[in-house]
Amino acid sequence: MEFILDFFRSLFNTMLALLSFGKKTVKNTLNINVKTNDQVLNIELDRSLEIKEVKEIVSEKLGVSTDEIKIIFAGKELTDSTTIAECDLGQMSFLHAIKTKRRTEKPASMPLITVEEEDSVVVPVEDHSSKPLCETLQDLKLVQNDENVETTRKAHFFVYCYFCKKMCRGKLRVRCCKCKECAFTVYQDPRCWDDVLKPSRIRGLCESNEDHPCTENESGNSPFAEFYFKCAEHSLGLENDFAVPLKLVRINEQNVPCLACMDVCETILVFPCEFRHVTCLDCFLQYCRSRLLERQFLAHPDIGFTLQCPTGCPNSFIDEIHHFKLLSPEEYDRYQMYATEEYVLQAGGVLCPRPDCGMGLLVEPECKKVVCQNGCGFVFCRDCLQGYHIGDCIPEMNQIDMNRSCEYTVNPNNAAEARWEDVSTAVTIKVSTKPCPKCRTPTERDGGCMHMVCTRSGCDFEWCWICQTEWTRDCMGAHWFG
Amino acid sequence: MAALPRRIIKEAQRLQLEPVPGISAVPDEQNARYFHVIVTGPADSPFEGGLFKLELFLPEDYPMSAPKVRFITKIYHPNIDRLGRICLDILKDKWSPALQIRTVLLSIQALLSAPNPDDPLANDVADLWKANEAEAIRNAREWTQRYAMDTTSM
Repeated sequence: MEFILDFFRSLFNTMLALLSFGKKTVKNTLNINVKTNDQVLNIELDRSLEIKEVKEIVSEKLGVSTDEIKIIFAGKELTDSTTIAECDLGQMSFLHAIKTKRRTEKPASMPLITVEEEDSVVVPVEDHSSKPLCETLQDLKLVQNDENVETTRKAHFFVYCYFCKKMCRGKLRVRCCKCKECAFTVYQDPRCWDDVLKPSRIRGLCESNEDHPCTENESGNSPFAEFYFKCAEHSLGLENDFAVPLKLVRINEQNVPCLACMDVCETILVFPCEFRHVTCLDCFLQYCRSRLLERQFLAHPDIGFTLQCPTGCPNSFIDEIHHFKLLSPEEYDRYQMYATEEYVLQAGGVLCPRPDCGMGLLVEPECKKVVCQNGCGFVFCRDCLQGYHIGDCIPEMNQIDMNRSCEYTVNPNNAAEARWEDVSTAVTIKVSTKPCPKCRTPTERDGGCMHMVCTRSGCDFEWCWICQTEWTRDCMGAHWFG
Repeated sequence: MAALPRRIIKEAQRLQLEPVPGISAVPDEQNARYFHVIVTGPADSPFEGGLFKLELFLPEDYPMSAPKVRFITKIYHPNIDRLGRICLDILKDKWSPALQIRTVLLSIQALLSAPNPDDPLANDVADLWKANEAEAIRNAREWTQRYAMDTTSM
């Protein structure tokens, strides 16, 4: 009996241990890859260790003295007093240890040019080492000359991670834009998102190859930094495991209430409009869903299929479409489908009218006979979207019905519903809709006045339900309500 | 039935605690998305002294889409048709989730103070308003007396 009890007790303890492991209780040590000029050392480091002690461990392994070693991490040479805990390192993260025989050489001798900011040339201090970037970097401004936001807080980044398939906390990393190596120190912290996202804005010193340091050009200018993001919530120990920054998502340190639900939430989305309107992430997603279902996303020529600030501010398009990845996979699929359809239509193409097909087809403008290639194979007339025919298109069915005097009066809607499957959908659409005079989108009028506004995003044509032409003051006077 | 969003609860509470002068909006006992609204006719308008009943409904995706508002009390106004439907841009394409029940009702009250016959909804009313403003105002006052001051039916 005792034996069985013991067995269960030990089983219980194992389960507990497993559970606590699952929760990832903070381990005090990190397994770190230290990349030197020619090899990678895998070292178990205590979080409380200082860089000085890391240098001691590394120098012992490399057989050099500690002052011949620089530790470089995320674009910074770390000071001796920095602790491992201060760096936003994860398991299997990389540190760079550079052997430096010429400790006296100062990169200050290199020309320091900061692009587009003449008045802010920064002269590096004598000692080049510093705290890690995650400690020194302040919240990035959305635009360079943004006076709206006080940037005194430490930066937090959110990314869309394709590995975790969700929004995660992100880490900013730096490498040389020439050799793509991370043994690179920046001369200056980035201050706005453009510094990070646009190339050739911040220069730095590349130390990956001691003998032939990277240069931007023949005249020996320092190379530019290339910033990239990693997910802080998983670690594969790969150097090129990138994540996409979601620059509009921020920590709500100013406690701004969401414009839709009025709650003060911890993580928010700040729209790139003049007023920096704020929504919480739930309301942002609700906004996306509601706009998506009404097909109100807009195909922006430079950005893609996107949305503006919900209050309609000018120039407020979300310019990183990965923000829409926060939608559910099904919703994102729908987003992509609509985006593609919109692209096809804007490029002068047509969508196959067959139910459940909808294949996008790019055809010559004068071509009337369209074949659904790589799709269902349907051959149809580009103008009336019916099966292909010779001669003129048959006029719209509802127009015939309206003008014909019938012996029996049949409610067209009832008649449409009483049809055998396939046919009925097409008939219902025909009977209950009229095409927008401009873009031909079938439009249903479910009440209200005769003043129609085309619901297709980007069309917005105002037309009269009765005249089927542009809405005029005469329509308003003659038959606004029929 | 989905839970009522906090925003609607908050808005309803604030409408009770800090009511807008001349406007009352009380949620229905059965349906918290349906509000019984009473707007008093603004001073120095032909609607002065009248109490106008309206109904306001918050659709499922409010505040992403606009509330639906309609006058129940008959009113002689160029921007309100005989079914009580209101021609107001913020109820249509100019809606933004940053607007609230409060701001919508204030705009409706402002519309009573400043009818806009150039963007009419009730054509006959608008025509008269432009052709003979004095008579139109007289009509409006008469309708106000007839339909909006009968306290027994309120």
